[in-house]
Amino acid sequence: MHMSDAMLSPAVAIAADIAAGALLVIAGSKIKNSTRDNLVPLMGVTGAFIFAAQMVNFAIPGTGSSGHIVGGVLLAALLGPWAGFLTLASVLIIQCLIFADGGLMALGCNILNMGAMTALVAYPLLFRPLLGFGGSRRPSDLKIFAVSVLACVVGLELGALMVSFETVASGVTSIPSGKFLLLMSSIHLAIGVGEGLATGAVIVFVSRTRPSLLSGDDIPAGKKRGIKAPVIAFAVAAAVVAGGLSFLASSDPDGLEWSIEKVSGSAELPDSPAPLASGSRAVQSATSIMPDYENTFSGIVGATMVLILVWSVSSVLTGKRRTAALRVPKRDKP
Amino acid sequence: MGRLEHAITRLQQIQSLRDSGAPAVSPVCGIIVTVAYLVAMLSVPVDRLGMLLWFAVYPILAAPYLGQLFTAVFLRSLYTLPFIVFIGVFNPVFDTAPALTVGDFTVSRGWITFISIVLRGLMSVQAIMILVAAIGFEGVCRGMRSVGIPAWLVTQLLMVYRYMTVLLEECLDMKRARLSRCYGRTHMSLSIWGRMTGQLFLRTVARSERISRAMLARGFNGSVPFIDFGGRGRWRMSDTVFASVCGIVFLFLRFFNLSGLLGFDRLL
Repeated sequence: MHMSDAMLSPAVAIAADIAAGALLVIAGSKIKNSTRDNLVPLMGVTGAFIFAAQMVNFAIPGTGSSGHIVGGVLLAALLGPWAGFLTLASVLIIQCLIFADGGLMALGCNILNMGAMTALVAYPLLFRPLLGFGGSRRPSDLKIFAVSVLACVVGLELGALMVSFETVASGVTSIPSGKFLLLMSSIHLAIGVGEGLATGAVIVFVSRTRPSLLSGDDIPAGKKRGIKAPVIAFAVAAAVVAGGLSFLASSDPDGLEWSIEKVSGSAELPDSPAPLASGSRAVQSATSIMPDYENTFSGIVGATMVLILVWSVSSVLTGKRRTAALRVPKRDKP
Repeated sequence: MGRLEHAITRLQQIQSLRDSGAPAVSPVCGIIVTVAYLVAMLSVPVDRLGMLLWFAVYPILAAPYLGQLFTAVFLRSLYTLPFIVFIGVFNPVFDTAPALTVGDFTVSRGWITFISIVLRGLMSVQAIMILVAAIGFEGVCRGMRSVGIPAWLVTQLLMVYRYMTVLLEECLDMKRARLSRCYGRTHMSLSIWGRMTGQLFLRTVARSERISRAMLARGFNGSVPFIDFGGRGRWRMSDTVFASVCGIVFLFLRFFNLSGLLGFDRLL
């Protein structure tokens, strides 16, 4: 579900970055107020743990294929929703910077789609109320698996919905929004079931061995649990995203065009044949910023050839210098 | 090579950059230029392929300037190609409006936008790869702190990054131990995976408690201090020149049709 920069327009990407940033600030303030004294190192090492867990594939029952965990609901169950969200966000940032999974501009979208939808929506609204760890009785394994699958499917489907929305709003892909949504939701339904089974398997193990770890919550003791903060955060996020999109999506004429259309019947006035006007047009067409440029094959070929030339000259100048970026250090272990 | 081994190798490559001398740019300059490049490049309309192509000049020239071989960056960026192709592969199917003609052939707008999506994806990945290889992950964190990202987020990133290699190695040991006992059954069932991952989590918690005590004993106050050895993190005159040149070039490429100005439109 990692979105690439190629899928997004800057307006949508920046709006999502602002929304994700706002959620991260709320998460940071929640963690500062947490009563768990070792939460900072726990979050750091658990982030590394979830990354390592993502690297080991498991067999998906009945399909003959394998998959790996994403870990949003699992992290929320182990650390609490806000700490889980922040931890997953940090893993996504590292994946983007080091492993090129998802784009830098798309980070906000990825944090919202994969982090917020699972840890801040599916976990507090489905997983926690339905399972209720921390009580006198441990839920049955079947119940843990069922709730995990439900929460993961809902979280990933919401994420897929967000991906479709952001992609269509960006206007990069030509696939109709309905078909894109159908494609994304059907793929993520299957992924959600696998994710839920994997989440359930880990939670069953932890609930048998160290059940106290699952009752952990990052909301300070004595404070009422509620969804006021997420609702406010999402309202702000929705306003920002909607603002960005309306700026993008408006195809109506602007005020001046509207006025001209009302007077002359057309949004654009005819060109004046006067010599001064035609001369000005010639100067403007030669120097204009962002002219109405049409794609031409020769333009593309020319640009490509220059790039190849620049690349070749650059390669010759830099020679066969092997840089540190290419060196793979010898490993201590076989 | 499995995903686990690939991740460890990649992390070791990045970590080895710390010893490769002072970077050519300061972290703040690197981050600002990369973000400016991404905004300028991604804001080019998706059907303006002739305009977009010129933005490839940045990774081609910035890579050698920042001490890397562009060919290596380009080849490594190809790993992301399947995901990028998946995004744009439907465009030729759904957008069949003619865009340009080459002799008797008419190329549809869908194909133009498909190539454009692939280029946007590759160029954005290359820009990030060049940034991280040039200043290292610690450099990126230092730059983030300098531009005002809160200390708790930067500390979290550094913690995850620092323990990633440790836990990946531990995970690899567990995987090898299991493989040596499974008599060729390489596929791991869900129940085995759940127990192994749960076990890894319990070890993680125990490790975090030890780290917590060690950090508190050393006076941890919520943020990791950066030590600026040899002034690597400072903004220098060369940063001003690099950022200015890049900014002017990005603005020019974004707002002017260079192919048209050079007369390539009239070649064929």
